[in-house]
Amino acid sequence: MNSESSQIQSKNKIEKISPFFSILIPGSGQFIQKKTWRGITIFLFAVVLGFMVKWSFETFQIGQVQMANGDSFSWLLIPLVVFYLWNILDAFLLAEGKKSSVVWAFLAAAVILYVIGYVVTGVKMDRLVTRIGDAKVVMTKLANPDFFSTYEGEKVVVCGWKCMWNYADTKLHGEVGPQIFVSDNVARIFGGKSKITATIWDVWFGKADEVGQRVPGFETGKIVETIAIGLMATLFSTILAIPVSFLAAHNIMRRVPGGLPIYYFTRGILNIVRAVDTVVWGLIIIVWVGLGSFAGVIALTIHSVAALAKLFSEEIEHIDSGPVEAIEATGGNFFQVIRYAVIPQIIPSFLSYTLLRWDINMRSATVIGFVAGGGIGFFVLETIRQGGYQQYAAALWAIAVVIIIVDFISSRWRNQILKDQPPAEEKVPTWKKIRKVVYIVLGLAAFVYCWTITKIDLESLFNPGKTFGRLLLDFISIDVTPDVVKGVVKELIVTVMQAFMATTLGGLLAIPFSFLAAKNLTGKSKFLSWIFYITRGMFNVLRSIEALLYVAIFVFWVGIGPFAGMMALAITTFALLGKLFSEAIENIDSGPIEAITAAGANKMQTIGYAIVPQIVPPFLSYLIYQWDINIRMATIIGFAGGGGIGLMLNTYFGSLQYHKAGTVILAIVLIVAIMDFSSAKIREKFV
Amino acid sequence: MLKIENLCKTYPNGTQALNDVSFEVEEGEFLAVIGLSGSGKSTLLRCINRLIEPTSGKITWNGVDVTAATGSDIRKIRRQIGMIFQQFNLVKRSSVNTNVLSGRLGYAPTIPSLFHVFSKEDHDNVRKNLDMVGLLDKIDVRADSLSGGQQQRVGIARALMQEPKMVLADEPVASLDPVLAHSILKYLEKLNKEYGITVICSLHFLDLVHRYATRAIALKDGYLVFQGLPKEIDDKQFKQIYGKEAERIEVI
Repeated sequence: MNSESSQIQSKNKIEKISPFFSILIPGSGQFIQKKTWRGITIFLFAVVLGFMVKWSFETFQIGQVQMANGDSFSWLLIPLVVFYLWNILDAFLLAEGKKSSVVWAFLAAAVILYVIGYVVTGVKMDRLVTRIGDAKVVMTKLANPDFFSTYEGEKVVVCGWKCMWNYADTKLHGEVGPQIFVSDNVARIFGGKSKITATIWDVWFGKADEVGQRVPGFETGKIVETIAIGLMATLFSTILAIPVSFLAAHNIMRRVPGGLPIYYFTRGILNIVRAVDTVVWGLIIIVWVGLGSFAGVIALTIHSVAALAKLFSEEIEHIDSGPVEAIEATGGNFFQVIRYAVIPQIIPSFLSYTLLRWDINMRSATVIGFVAGGGIGFFVLETIRQGGYQQYAAALWAIAVVIIIVDFISSRWRNQILKDQPPAEEKVPTWKKIRKVVYIVLGLAAFVYCWTITKIDLESLFNPGKTFGRLLLDFISIDVTPDVVKGVVKELIVTVMQAFMATTLGGLLAIPFSFLAAKNLTGKSKFLSWIFYITRGMFNVLRSIEALLYVAIFVFWVGIGPFAGMMALAITTFALLGKLFSEAIENIDSGPIEAITAAGANKMQTIGYAIVPQIVPPFLSYLIYQWDINIRMATIIGFAGGGGIGLMLNTYFGSLQYHKAGTVILAIVLIVAIMDFSSAKIREKFV
Repeated sequence: MLKIENLCKTYPNGTQALNDVSFEVEEGEFLAVIGLSGSGKSTLLRCINRLIEPTSGKITWNGVDVTAATGSDIRKIRRQIGMIFQQFNLVKRSSVNTNVLSGRLGYAPTIPSLFHVFSKEDHDNVRKNLDMVGLLDKIDVRADSLSGGQQQRVGIARALMQEPKMVLADEPVASLDPVLAHSILKYLEKLNKEYGITVICSLHFLDLVHRYATRAIALKDGYLVFQGLPKEIDDKQFKQIYGKEAERIEVI
């Protein structure tokens, strides 16, 4: 016997006894058999599930079963044992070279996670029903937004649909009906005549004698302010992200002496900054520059610089290296290579990412006011506090309209830019030149206007508030005493579970609806195409409003707490996944459908055999993507009463306990980073 | 005169692309480099202008030690050596004018060049060189609206902007329709014969080598397996260079 075959024998021997390793340490047997990722995953799952069962029993007595002798244990140990036994069986089967199904492991893990998730997010399905009366009240108010008012005796009241109907009815019959006029609320949202504080422009145009004087004028509406915040943040973040992205591009930095350490440092910072949501940045920034739109602009800019710089740098890394080589061969230096070989290649993708970011920033701008005190978010917060649900409803409709328009413009321009056709005409006609000049002038005017109404104040940028220094010091010396850590861990698990439950619930709801919103399945008859437009429309409207803005509805309905937050997240999940799923269905290859139909299959059979196999990979991929989004969203949902770690963060900031706030932020950064990493791995493996 | 002595290149992944390659190229030659894909032709050409760092060996060109040059000295050597690529390596979104001008970057002062400011002489030369390759009317169009053959001619014009003493052409016709091969190689022949520029050109087709080259070398697995006149490559040599399976084919 030669040495090679004896080596194979001894290797086989280790693999044969590997199930025994799995008895001691779950996953280790699989690891020994070179199923590295399977082994690591089983081990991590065993640890996490074990911890969750123990923790949930100690903290919430989840699954408590009382024994006759007074002892108690958690019945969740049963699925845990199932998981453990499966792990041994799995190692055994693999060692035998047989196939092993993951169904039991999957079920065991699902039981544990969903039971815990159900309890810690405070799911009270009964409340959805028992409090339907409250829901009806709030729904009626939401359906009658405060756009028009009328008189009821001496009192001014909102004129809803019924009143409008009466008005129209009486008008049609030529009778004298109720008096209707535009509400004050409209002026607050969209802008109207009022007394304003004079700016330097009013002085210029002779409307005021000095800056700060109260003069009659046109007050900016909250939604206009929101648009301005989004625009300014996009502009600033793009300008700042471009140089940063070069520092974070591997193919650029490895050409620079000492560039690689800078590259790793920049990448690290970008990932940390990105992990902290815009709203949390808002909390930090108001300590620096004070409440107001300006704080909102800065918070959005910070988060957006990090997100854009990452996308930009990846774009730089993916450029065609041919021109770089060619310019180097002509003897061009580093800067000339960047100017002539790199920059021309990245312009279209940079523009398109900027437009995408504009869309995202507009959405963030609608909620940044919850903490930073500017824009429509602040208005929403105020109206909810005063119980003004009809004013709140009007704001939601205004937001939906603006965001849908922005979404439309952004995606349309993106498509045009990414096509990147060379110009058809070689000579640019004069009217196009004139149009260009007009656009530039309008753009400049818009810039100046936005600068004024977002109250950008560079002086306060370099004059941080007194407490800001303390905040920085406290963030460095964060509080890691057991009590605080225990509390943070608890809220963190609640937050993750909120995201988990919301992704499941929203995803499950989205699947049936997505079929109704797919054009290739619904184009057949007039009735079906109406269903298509209604479902798509519903997705688009629901999607245009951030989860944070929905929380108020569910707080009213099911009460303050994680359940309300989870429901709000589920709504946005439903809308976004519904849209993405339906697009995935539209993008499937029609060949198999044709073949199955030709074989005489009915509609359900066609879906089962020709459509489902094609849509599982994109659905999974979108589900993971949504999971990433929900983890981030869940960290801020508490700002509006939705429970989870956001509430804790808000409390610590409010009571100036920056040590503890620092701990919470660190926990958020860690959990987001871990989830990002694991979902990237899962995507690599399965999609 | 270009002198290559004991040139070796081993890539970080362990691939030995060049093994102890030595040869000389006289001024004014048209040297063809032949060999299979992966035989080291591209690596050899890129070692000559130091786009790739050789592992060991020495390259001297007109008495200057190319392998010893550092920093700006490398760039001063590079700007005298034009290069033409298989994939043309034009910036597709930039105009033909900008692409050709970029051949002048090694001479242009940095700051003005970053703002696209070049001397009048440079602009005149762009027109002259584009005229030479027959594309003067395309000066303002974007590079990606040109056909492959036109793009390669822009590549030649860009190399000419360097006023090169030598041109390295890395499979200049491999990405083009065979019918266009002669049109491109005729331009290279013109550079060689009329302007006296040394040309080192890697080629796939043997009949192109016979038609244009004054001398040829062959690489196989990183070793120099032949050097001599193109007509000296007989069937036996051919099998040695390309392997037993190979058959001679001809392009139009």
